[in-house]
Amino acid sequence: MADEVEPSLDIPRHLKYWKMCLRSPLPSLYQSNEGNRMALAYFIINSITILTPFQPVPRADGTIPTPLIAPGERRQLREWVLSHRHPSGGFSGTSSLVFPLHGYEEWDFETGTSSREHLGLANITATLFALQLLVLLSDDETPEAAFRGVDRVQTLRWLSRLQREDGSFGEVLKMLPDHGWFIGGGYDMRYCYIAASIRWILRGDVNEGEPGWVEDFDTGALAQYIISSQTYDGGFAGSSKEEPHAGYAYCAIGALSLLDRPLEDSSASHPSKILNSGIRNMPGLIHWLASRQFNYLEPGQHDDDYDSDEDEVNFVLPRSLADLSLEKNQRYIGYNGRCNKVADTCYSWWVGAALANLGREGLVEHAPARRFLLEKMQHRIGGFGKKPGNPPDLYHACFGLCILAVMGEEGLNQLDSALALPVEMVRRIEKARTALLSREGENGTAGRLAKDIVGIGLGLRDEKPGWLTAAGG
Amino acid sequence: MPPKSKAAPKPKGADSSKQPTLTPSTSNTTPAVPATVAARSQLRYDDSRPHDAARLKAGLTGLPRDEQAAWISARFARTPAARTRLPPKAQRELWRQVNEASLPVRALRGGTKGSSWGRDRNGLDVGGYSVERFDEREARRARLTCLEVASRGFRERRERERKGLRDPATGEAVFVSEGEVDAERVRRGEMADLRRELYGTVQGSFALDPEWDDVIPIPQDEPEAALAAIAYPADYDEAISYLRAVMLKKEYSQRCLRLTETIIEMNPAHYTVWLYRASNVFALKLPIADELEWLNQVAFANLKNYQIWHHRHLLVDNLYPALAEKPDELARFAAAERDFLTQILVQDTKNYHVWSYRSYLVGKLGVWGSPEELKSIEGLIDDDVRNNSAWSHRFFLVFSDPAHTTPGLVATEPDPAVPQDITSREVEYAKEKISLAPQNQSPWNYLKGVLVKGRQKLSSVEEFTGGFVKGLGNKDGSEDVQSTHALDLLAEIYAEKGDKEKADLCLRRLGEKWDRIRVGYWEWRRKCLEEA
Repeated sequence: MADEVEPSLDIPRHLKYWKMCLRSPLPSLYQSNEGNRMALAYFIINSITILTPFQPVPRADGTIPTPLIAPGERRQLREWVLSHRHPSGGFSGTSSLVFPLHGYEEWDFETGTSSREHLGLANITATLFALQLLVLLSDDETPEAAFRGVDRVQTLRWLSRLQREDGSFGEVLKMLPDHGWFIGGGYDMRYCYIAASIRWILRGDVNEGEPGWVEDFDTGALAQYIISSQTYDGGFAGSSKEEPHAGYAYCAIGALSLLDRPLEDSSASHPSKILNSGIRNMPGLIHWLASRQFNYLEPGQHDDDYDSDEDEVNFVLPRSLADLSLEKNQRYIGYNGRCNKVADTCYSWWVGAALANLGREGLVEHAPARRFLLEKMQHRIGGFGKKPGNPPDLYHACFGLCILAVMGEEGLNQLDSALALPVEMVRRIEKARTALLSREGENGTAGRLAKDIVGIGLGLRDEKPGWLTAAGG
Repeated sequence: MPPKSKAAPKPKGADSSKQPTLTPSTSNTTPAVPATVAARSQLRYDDSRPHDAARLKAGLTGLPRDEQAAWISARFARTPAARTRLPPKAQRELWRQVNEASLPVRALRGGTKGSSWGRDRNGLDVGGYSVERFDEREARRARLTCLEVASRGFRERRERERKGLRDPATGEAVFVSEGEVDAERVRRGEMADLRRELYGTVQGSFALDPEWDDVIPIPQDEPEAALAAIAYPADYDEAISYLRAVMLKKEYSQRCLRLTETIIEMNPAHYTVWLYRASNVFALKLPIADELEWLNQVAFANLKNYQIWHHRHLLVDNLYPALAEKPDELARFAAAERDFLTQILVQDTKNYHVWSYRSYLVGKLGVWGSPEELKSIEGLIDDDVRNNSAWSHRFFLVFSDPAHTTPGLVATEPDPAVPQDITSREVEYAKEKISLAPQNQSPWNYLKGVLVKGRQKLSSVEEFTGGFVKGLGNKDGSEDVQSTHALDLLAEIYAEKGDKEKADLCLRRLGEKWDRIRVGYWEWRRKCLEEA
């Protein structure tokens, strides 16, 4: 085994795939994701950032390669992200839900007030991805300006309103006729994780009464909701009533650990009190995560058991356990998301990153997991597919790179497994949060608004007007 | 004005013989038949300027003398500014020559070189059409214009009706009948066909439907630099632009309901459309049962979609208060939902969203103890003993039933309220299923979960578990393990009994031989055991 050559990650080929996704419209295959364009945008920009060294490496002839996204284009793309801001806080998930500005105003002329129900819906998932994109697209010279234009106070207030009585979070807030405000979206651990992420990114450490203070959501209720969603076999489900799922396990661990993650110089696997003393059965959780490893056998190797059902294509069972202990069967390790399901690229990430967040990445072997991704899931044109032989898609291609980066793949930027961003970008979040808070502290709301407007203008033009410089701005 | 003027230039047989390229016929009697409409125009142009084409080629001095004279006469005849400067005598001479030679006194302007006939829907130059084909096209264009005029008339009448204005001709109130609307629908269909045939333009179905005339669609306005734009079809784009318009108006109506249906058919994952649909259902106070019935069909067509299940959840939340007062109806509803879920799960046995909805429904309707529900789950496990979704649901059914459990406990916590007979029943059930497929982890997880919940010692299943492991640690090749999960549980049983050495042997053999892909995990367990 040792003399076999390990596969290598073809970085230029992956970049080529992502360049295609960046430059040309996505095929109509993605139509069902039309409501979640912000997520697709995150997959594209995050992957390009993971693949691009922060310090450009000179070519053999000494020239510096030009970045895939030039600074001017980064500013334009930031504007696109900012155009999804919702007047009530948060971001909309897609451009088709951004309305002409007058559409947001609903004045009752009798009382002279706005009904407060704005059109379109800010979406919790889109809001996290938009904040991450603003950081990923921030100016390398002034990363602390990443959150310029973000209405931190409104967004955090809106976030609190998405929390249900049981502590969980929904994805959207909508006024339904005869029903009042309705928190939409299922009971889904993803929204809990996203709420904890947005809170960590934006809230900061402000005491009550100080400028920029916003009432926190009920973190105790959120933690309690998550903790009570652990299942009898140690995993985590969307709620206490359901089947455990690797994506939800990642979200449960990530959310708990983000609730008390330090605001500066923090790492994904910081010793979180809420996580470590909160989870009722930690050995059970680790057992469940370790059980997601999946011995990938080539179809046809055991023809008797081969099932042509699509869901079973790489779920080949050995004739007996003794067969599995043969050396050649240890070559590829995939991960599944639920017991008795098949391997899928994204679960290499959800499980691998969940273990990394627990500081337990050493419990799984990296080499066979890496081989599985590079030899079975990687596609000729770059990117990763869902299952062996599948064409690549944005979601699997992004999370394939993410887990390789967590496993320390050479040539990829180091990744924070709790925030799914390069560590360098997490440092930028910390700086940008500080800058956002100090602006609010200095100016109060009115000053902040004025400064934000100037900030947006500067972002667009990338230059300070003479009068502002003269005024000492 | 000349004394005798000819209304139109006549083609001259003798002259046209000098124009070899454009006139196929040189006969004196039959007029030339152009192959295309562009050629016909060229012919007409040349006929109105005798000898001009030849002059351009050879120069004036290169023409025979009589042709030179004719060209000059024609030129003067059609240029009054030059002509009037001639002395009267010369003018008379000019008209004489013009009459004798039947020269045209007017010329077609502009030439045909740069003129554009436009292109048809296939990108072909219309100038290349034959005369017959061109006439046919023109007839269609005329037909389209007539229809457009009629259609505008319809829209105006509609507008008057809406505003309560009177017909200016008759002074009567305007009333647009159903028949007129139907006729307009037919008319627009024909107009759309004509536009497609003539210009290749495709019109969306909403623009064609008179029902949507009062809505001005709001197309998306996207900056040049945008991320993740999707090349979706034009009809989706059109539908979304109408959705934006009605959302902006906050309109709730039957047509909005149909609009959401159209969009859901194209993209069932659009959560906003679902919420807007729910708003319509509630605002119009539509029967929730009808909406559920509609939803059933959508669910079958979109098995992997989960917005459908959120919508269903919301509908049932709203239906429940009325059901709760009538136990019979509640039971009927529970049975109907179970039947529906059974049908769905036959097609997709591990669909997470369906199972989530199912557990929600059990809680909402309070049917934990329903023998039918338990039987239905047993059927699914009988079909596929590896269906972990079904195992999870069974655990929820049995151990979240408020009739015999403590509310608020986490699933991994022991519950003193669970009766012994239920624990025993579930232990036996798990054991039976393990025997069918010992390497199936689902019932092993279930077994351990039941023992913990029911406060039973793990060692109560030591004998059963040990049955899957033979000669552990033997170096003579007699060691045989039928189930790594049994070996895993044995390690815990030995640890529970305080027999660290045996527990360690189980874990070591798992990492060394029987479950090598998890060697890191088993080694960690050994370390934990040592430290315990």
